[in-house]
Amino acid sequence: MATLLKLIPHLFAWFGIVLIMLRGFSGRRSSVMLAGMIGFVIGVTGTFILFRSYPGSVTFGVVKSVLGMSFILLWGCSVVAIYRSTDRAKVMSWGKRLIKTPSTAIIASCLAGVGAGAVCTCRLSAATTDGVAMASVLLLLAAGAVAYIALAFEKRMPEAFKVSPAGMLAIVTALLLFSASSILRLDLFSPLSMKVMKGVHDFVHQFMESILIPDHLFVRSYIWKTIGLLFSKEVGFWGGMVIWFTPAILIVLAIQFERLPAVAHIRQGAQRRRVLVDAIRARRYRALIPVFALLLLAAATYQSCFPSVEYWDPKPLPVTAGSSGEIIIPKKGEINLEDGKLHKYIFRQGVKEARFFVLMTPAGELTVDLDACAICKPDGYGQAEGSVICYYCKTLIPLETVGKPGGCNPVPIPFTENGDSVVVDGLTLINSWSATVQATARVKEGGK
Amino acid sequence: MAELIIETTNLTRNYGDICALKPLDLQVPEGEWLTVMGHSGSGKSTLMNLVGGLDRPSAGSLQVGGKDLLAFTEDGLARFRREFVGIIFQQHHLVPYLTAVENVMLAQYFHSVPDEAEARSSLERVGLGHRLKNRPGELSGGEQQRVCIARAIINSPKLLLGDEPTGNLDQKSTLMVMELLKELRAEEKFTVIMVTHNQEVAAWGDRTIYLNDGMLVREESRLKVAEV
Amino acid sequence: MNRRRWLLHIILRALAHRRGRTILLLAVLAMASSLATALGIVSSSMEKRVAEEVRKYGANLIVLPALARLDVGSGGLNFGVVSEPAYLLQRQVESALEQSGLKAERSFHLTGALHYKDADLMVEGVNFSDIRRLFPWWQLKGNWPTASGEIVVGNDLATQMKLKPGDTMELVGKAQKMRLRVSGTVSSGGEEDGLLFLALPELQQAIGLEGQISLVRLMVTAGGDSLKKSASALQLLLPAAKVSEVRQTARTSEGLLAKVKLLMLMVTAVVLISAGSSVAGTMSTTVLERSKEIGLMKAVGGTRWEVMLIFCGEAAMLGIVGGVAGYIFGVVVAQFITKTVFSASAEFIPWFVFVSLGVSLFLALLGSIGPMISVFKLDPVRSLRGE
Repeated sequence: MATLLKLIPHLFAWFGIVLIMLRGFSGRRSSVMLAGMIGFVIGVTGTFILFRSYPGSVTFGVVKSVLGMSFILLWGCSVVAIYRSTDRAKVMSWGKRLIKTPSTAIIASCLAGVGAGAVCTCRLSAATTDGVAMASVLLLLAAGAVAYIALAFEKRMPEAFKVSPAGMLAIVTALLLFSASSILRLDLFSPLSMKVMKGVHDFVHQFMESILIPDHLFVRSYIWKTIGLLFSKEVGFWGGMVIWFTPAILIVLAIQFERLPAVAHIRQGAQRRRVLVDAIRARRYRALIPVFALLLLAAATYQSCFPSVEYWDPKPLPVTAGSSGEIIIPKKGEINLEDGKLHKYIFRQGVKEARFFVLMTPAGELTVDLDACAICKPDGYGQAEGSVICYYCKTLIPLETVGKPGGCNPVPIPFTENGDSVVVDGLTLINSWSATVQATARVKEGGK
Repeated sequence: MAELIIETTNLTRNYGDICALKPLDLQVPEGEWLTVMGHSGSGKSTLMNLVGGLDRPSAGSLQVGGKDLLAFTEDGLARFRREFVGIIFQQHHLVPYLTAVENVMLAQYFHSVPDEAEARSSLERVGLGHRLKNRPGELSGGEQQRVCIARAIINSPKLLLGDEPTGNLDQKSTLMVMELLKELRAEEKFTVIMVTHNQEVAAWGDRTIYLNDGMLVREESRLKVAEV
Repeated sequence: MNRRRWLLHIILRALAHRRGRTILLLAVLAMASSLATALGIVSSSMEKRVAEEVRKYGANLIVLPALARLDVGSGGLNFGVVSEPAYLLQRQVESALEQSGLKAERSFHLTGALHYKDADLMVEGVNFSDIRRLFPWWQLKGNWPTASGEIVVGNDLATQMKLKPGDTMELVGKAQKMRLRVSGTVSSGGEEDGLLFLALPELQQAIGLEGQISLVRLMVTAGGDSLKKSASALQLLLPAAKVSEVRQTARTSEGLLAKVKLLMLMVTAVVLISAGSSVAGTMSTTVLERSKEIGLMKAVGGTRWEVMLIFCGEAAMLGIVGGVAGYIFGVVVAQFITKTVFSASAEFIPWFVFVSLGVSLFLALLGSIGPMISVFKLDPVRSLRGE
């Protein structure tokens, strides 16, 4: 029941999608309804089967790329829309004809249905492990009911409410992304901002390498500090924001740039004014939908930045090394190391300190890792929904791969299992922490 | 015969127990100039308000320009008025703090969008090209009434209602206003319905109906008079 | 001209037409919002100031060694308590502070006696950099020590012993004999004026108490409750010591601030209520007077909403202008209050313009609700007939 409650926002998104599709492809109610519902069923069953036959990460990856594709499509359409609004391209009229064909309506609503269904199923599978089949059937029924309500609602909406094709795409994509943003592993915004951050980072590196070898001799430290700003998280965030919102903004602009009808030939003043005002008003109505899409995208970013998921992130417990320099952590006792949760510790030696955690992977093996990775600032990790997340770059690392080195994975530490305790060498720990942190700090400051 | 612009059957308006307009059947063809005469309290103004969409009948049916006014909501009636009706009042009712041209633009604003050039030319048309920037307080009665006419016709209404438009004017101004209305009607081809006490003013119309105590008592048309 | 500009135009025209009433309403709104702004600015900038004062006063927590108590006597024969000087281990305190995670400036002190000529002088071992951070109001003649072997002498002591910067003196401790150079004299107006200040490690060596201290002063940046919490948290980690609060001056400032705030809050509440009702009264007379105009607007085709929008626009315009004026006026009032009551200048807080705008707009629109309903309901036929 609780999981069904969690589906409510997704069903709202589905309601919006159906509503907009019906209005956008006006006059094709039955085919849009049918195609949308079929799409939804395909989405649900497809995702369900994927979950059954492959590990979760594959399915999430597939659904995520479908969503990403819709976003890229939105980008394309927004560019076309803004280009068209400059009245330059009569060539594009085939696009207009294409939108009017019944097959476009059917395919589009089917695809939207697939997306919505897939996202809903991902939510189900993320929340529970058993009874998914049963829940899926319930989901399908609920979706059908919602679609029917949307149909009834659409019939009562005023005629003046019109949706432009670009606006329709914008809002449908926004609804899908919004609906996906509440699921940690489907969220697109944080990977996007991370990609931007890394892209900027790599670019600056390459640039420096190609121009300023050997750079340290020429570039002063305050310049390095300025360049260091480019490597910060904020650049990724704002860059991501720009990419995220631009298409919808372009569509709004395209609508605002639309030419008003020529009125010079109308002799009667009142009629001329009426035509003009009606056109402006219609334009404003049409811009309403993409503006709403902007709001939805903003909500999606918010959800992505402040996820409602609670991370499991215990306060690091201080530990000390014995006389031989070894840290011994009992497996059972006050803390059960084998409960599959993250257990954080902090080890101090003189002024140096190191944070690390012990975790039992789903494969049943214990692993000891630094609370930091080899690339990011050591902000640490939290655990949620079958993965740990790097707080700095928001990368999700599936629990299965924790303990393996590389990328943003936590840096593994050699350890021995001695009966009912885990033994880590204090010196190794301190050294590897210092090495990691120093390496990442250097990157942060922009040096090499 | 031209199409009917106004068609009423059993049009009735009660204010509480008082019956301001007894069941009235009236037909006005498009383009006609109809004069309504009667004593005060005879229901002339009530008829005007009903036809102009300012008031709602208590009973009967009322079709203006092919639209059933009873079906409109209050805001729907307002939209009907701005598109379809121009009204000239006895007391002018100009907004005191707006200039002549702004008073005209106010009507444009409610209709669609203000257009100063158009408002100017319409004031020039009524012979007030030299008083565009004056406030109503600085204008004579005749001039104010001409601003009122410019405002009434600015949205090209099909129906022009005059509620004793010359009631407050002297002989000369009255003549001027009536001439103006006649000219404008010839140009714009709107229908005129005018309430008046003045027999001379009534003579400008095509047809005159007499109301007494909310009832139509007499009707005469200029053609008939001419025949006699 | 587009619709929005036209709307603005007629709103301004209407307001200018009734100049007296507009000015009255503006004054009322500006008054109310300025009081609210002043209240906000005074309380927020004074809160910061009081916190700063606490900082200025310096340490708000001190850590003393729990005296090594020894009860003498037994049963009914109680001869009292003999106490010995006790010391804290510097290292222990440091680690406790680190563990507690308190954000605090610290200063370690060790008090001891050194022999000079034929008298014992009270000497305090400190870290001069900590002293300068925690007690910025100490007045120094000469320089702070820069090298080892340099000391600072309290003002009173300096006069008494006829010492001035540049002099050298020889001090004898339990463990060591030292030649020291006076680099400056210091005055705090308190007991410090009779002391001699030496670098902590040097004193520790001289009197053979290496690694030991007798007092820690902490400046925790926190107000209200959390100071008490920090104290008890620290106490737990330092069982061998006594952690206590020092906060008399802060209390008096806070009390004064609370009273001023309460007073302003009450005045503001009264002003807000009276301003709201006077706005409502003025607006409803205006609407009553303008009923013909409203009827006309409806007659020429304005819907109820469109006509109401014009009047709401007027109220909003008054609210905005009143809010901006109120902000400016409020800043002046706040400046006046802080000058006279706290003899300090108020901070400049730009975002309070939104508070002021919000109050003013809220009042203007709230006061117009009643009149707006009558605008909405007004029957054009009746109003044009002059009823």
